[in-house]
Amino acid sequence: MQETFLLPLIIALPLLGFVLLGLFGKRLGEPAAGWLASLLVLGSFLLGLVLLLQGGARWALPDWLPGIPFSLHLDNLSGVMLMVVTGVGFLIHVWAIGYMHGDPGYSRFFSYFNLFIAAMLVLILGDSLPVVFIGWEGVGLASYLLIGFWYHERINVDSARKAFIVNRIGDLGFLLAMGLLWSMFGTLSISELVEKVEAGGYSFTTLTLAGFFLLVGAMGKSAQVPLMVWLPDAMAGPTPVSALIHAATMVTAGVYLLVRHAFMLHDDAYLSGLIVLIGLLTAFYGALCSLGQWDIKRIVAYTTLSQLGFMFVAVGVGAYWVAIFHIVTHAFFKALMFMTSGSVIHALGGEQDVRKMGGMRKYLPATHLHGLIATFASGGLVPLAGFWSKDAILAYSFEYGPWLWFLMLLASVLAALYSIRWYVLVFWGEYRGKEHPHESPAVMLWPNHILMVGAIGVGFMGLPYVIDYKNFIEPFLTKAIGEFPHEKLPVFTEWVLILTSALVAIAALWWGFRFFQQKMPAWYERFQAAALQGFYVDALYNALLVNPAKGLAELLFGGDKGILAGFAGLGNLMGGLGSLLARLETGALRFYLAGFVLALVLLVGWGVLR
Amino acid sequence: MIWLVASALLFSIGAYGALTRRTAILMFLSIELMLNAAALSLVSFSKLTGSLEAQVVVLFIIAIAAAEVAVGLGLIVAIFRRRETTGVDELRQLRG
Amino acid sequence: MSIGFWEVLALLVLVGTGLAVVRLQNAVHAALALIANFLVVAGVYVALEARFVAMIQIIVYAGAIVVLFLFVIMLLSAANANVGQDLLPRLPWVAALGALGLAGVLIYAVTRFQPPANAPALGGGLPQALGPLLYDPEKWLYALLVVGFLLLVATVAAVVLIEPERIIAATSHPAHPRQDQKPSPSTGQQKDERAVVKP
Repeated sequence: MQETFLLPLIIALPLLGFVLLGLFGKRLGEPAAGWLASLLVLGSFLLGLVLLLQGGARWALPDWLPGIPFSLHLDNLSGVMLMVVTGVGFLIHVWAIGYMHGDPGYSRFFSYFNLFIAAMLVLILGDSLPVVFIGWEGVGLASYLLIGFWYHERINVDSARKAFIVNRIGDLGFLLAMGLLWSMFGTLSISELVEKVEAGGYSFTTLTLAGFFLLVGAMGKSAQVPLMVWLPDAMAGPTPVSALIHAATMVTAGVYLLVRHAFMLHDDAYLSGLIVLIGLLTAFYGALCSLGQWDIKRIVAYTTLSQLGFMFVAVGVGAYWVAIFHIVTHAFFKALMFMTSGSVIHALGGEQDVRKMGGMRKYLPATHLHGLIATFASGGLVPLAGFWSKDAILAYSFEYGPWLWFLMLLASVLAALYSIRWYVLVFWGEYRGKEHPHESPAVMLWPNHILMVGAIGVGFMGLPYVIDYKNFIEPFLTKAIGEFPHEKLPVFTEWVLILTSALVAIAALWWGFRFFQQKMPAWYERFQAAALQGFYVDALYNALLVNPAKGLAELLFGGDKGILAGFAGLGNLMGGLGSLLARLETGALRFYLAGFVLALVLLVGWGVLR
Repeated sequence: MIWLVASALLFSIGAYGALTRRTAILMFLSIELMLNAAALSLVSFSKLTGSLEAQVVVLFIIAIAAAEVAVGLGLIVAIFRRRETTGVDELRQLRG
Repeated sequence: MSIGFWEVLALLVLVGTGLAVVRLQNAVHAALALIANFLVVAGVYVALEARFVAMIQIIVYAGAIVVLFLFVIMLLSAANANVGQDLLPRLPWVAALGALGLAGVLIYAVTRFQPPANAPALGGGLPQALGPLLYDPEKWLYALLVVGFLLLVATVAAVVLIEPERIIAATSHPAHPRQDQKPSPSTGQQKDERAVVKP
């Protein structure tokens, strides 16, 4: 662990890109702006990699705020996140060079994109919570800017606002948690909080409350039930944004935050139970909604929701390293899935409705391969990345309780189904549209190739202990998260679980492959109609929260109007009084003089007779 | 003491004139009468209290009255040039 | 101070000329009545040991001010007191009541005045007595200077009030003619004169 100024440099590189592109982006021209942004992110990646291999780093600016240093901390946990954000981020940047080709806001896009990377790095590397919060808000801002990137259309702007406002609820939770922790421990540095929490001597209930507020923050950022409504609408942004921010990195920030605070959570059965419940609900909600969508990006967005639910369950059952492991694998296969979707959209000239796709495997062979791998990884086919991380979650769930394992198995069946549905609708059958599909340029294919390799291979660094007794990622991460000893499952049980989940995934994928090629039965049509609307959660929120709030606002506005009318009435009254007095101003000089004499008589009289 | 009463009477008569006269010049004349009444009362007080200061003030009153008449009559002439009248009831620009 | 024949006579003349000032319908007559009034007041001043003030009263008030009035009355042919409309026809009654009330209040006030028993002599109110007061920097000197300046300003003001156009034309620079100034024959003429003078 070394003190080095190279650590803030990691953040400064993309920030520099943001400034340069924001100021001179137009002059740089089309491919140059994109390449500059990409290379700066690559620079961050390499720098981070070097520092991580040297065993981490820290850097602090003492007394940034009174009593709060601006401290950054690169340990194994933030290192893994750093690799994901800059690595996958770099690939998506490169891909976006092709995807955003010809857009009038080309350089603006990359400027925002670099801003996002910088903010995300602040979030990840921040050691004291206010620093994390800066990043937290920064990614929210970047997300807002990028969702509303095509701001000429009303719906994009509304979606951006919705994302921002819903996130605000989570941010409130984060702020409250910070306040509570400050009042309890007098420090907001995570590394110091770890020691203070271990030292004891505080109210456990208050700590639970602080943890709960943190959870609220994480729920907002990671789009968990009941704050999940913004994520599907966030697909209004360009596809690279969806891939980078709303699938691979930003939405996992909530999970990362919870894992960072594992020392507060792992002893707290209630809080952990709540996290499990929320994760479970989100996993099912996302999966079920995904099965009813027609917009290709919304399908993938809801699958993201479901996968985030998986991560929350992992955090809830105490499998913190697994949650991070799933973030990593998910980042690869979900980014791949999104970018495959983006390539298809690109090939079809902006068409997003899967009903007008189909048969793409003939037209886009390379993209078809990417989609196939993404589907298998996401559906949990042995031995792709998604399978291993999901299997680890299932194993920990079994330790938590066999019922949870069963429910999670069900959720992973749904995951297999929605993955294969997406694949079938896009790549199989006959082409149902009118465009002439064309394969993407190399600058969009190569990032996908690399991501595809990742989606296949990255799972092998976290094999279950029955196969690889010392896998790579578990000890690597637990060094940073902390050791939370647990009973390992017996070898036999573990094998049974692995085989069960593998077989179930294969069966579900096969069944889904057949099922979604048929004509849909009536019950599925009904289900689909409900799922398309997200099971009416938006309508419910409108009825329960938004409209009453609007009503209240209008009521208050009415009250304001009344007050204003009252003031206007007062003004009119005074005006009337004034015009009454103005009638005294006859303009006749002698009239005034009469008043003068009268007053003189009265005043002198009062003076003498007093 | 009788001159104090005389000054009071003159002042009241002047006030009456200022109210009843309808041309600016005569109104002004009445005001001069009031001013003179005030000066008379000052001189009476000077005699009664044995102080010369009041007489000095009367000198100032006369001097300022001269200035006032110069400006006032100038105004009257200026107004007359514009309106061809000295009637104060014709001037009602100040009506609210 | 006793009230003798002359006092009563002077009082009656004062009131009578005062009423004449406010009631006579010919402005010239009213102004002449005012002169008479002022002359009587001057006599009263002499009786009240204010001789210098009495002289000033005659010279400035009766001699200069009222003559100025007469001059303006004749200049404007404004001798008739009944001109123009009467906006407030009932005002004379109110004025009479007000004047009576004022007189009552003021007389009541002055009769309650208690003069000191032994008032010092005034020295006849001669300039020898007033001069040291007027020219004493600790008493009235600065007031005297200010009043002198005031008289100067008032004189200039009277001229400006009566002939504003001519003043403006005379003071404006030919290279920077005023924006608000209307081109009038007189200014044009003046400019021509300057143009002639210049070479």
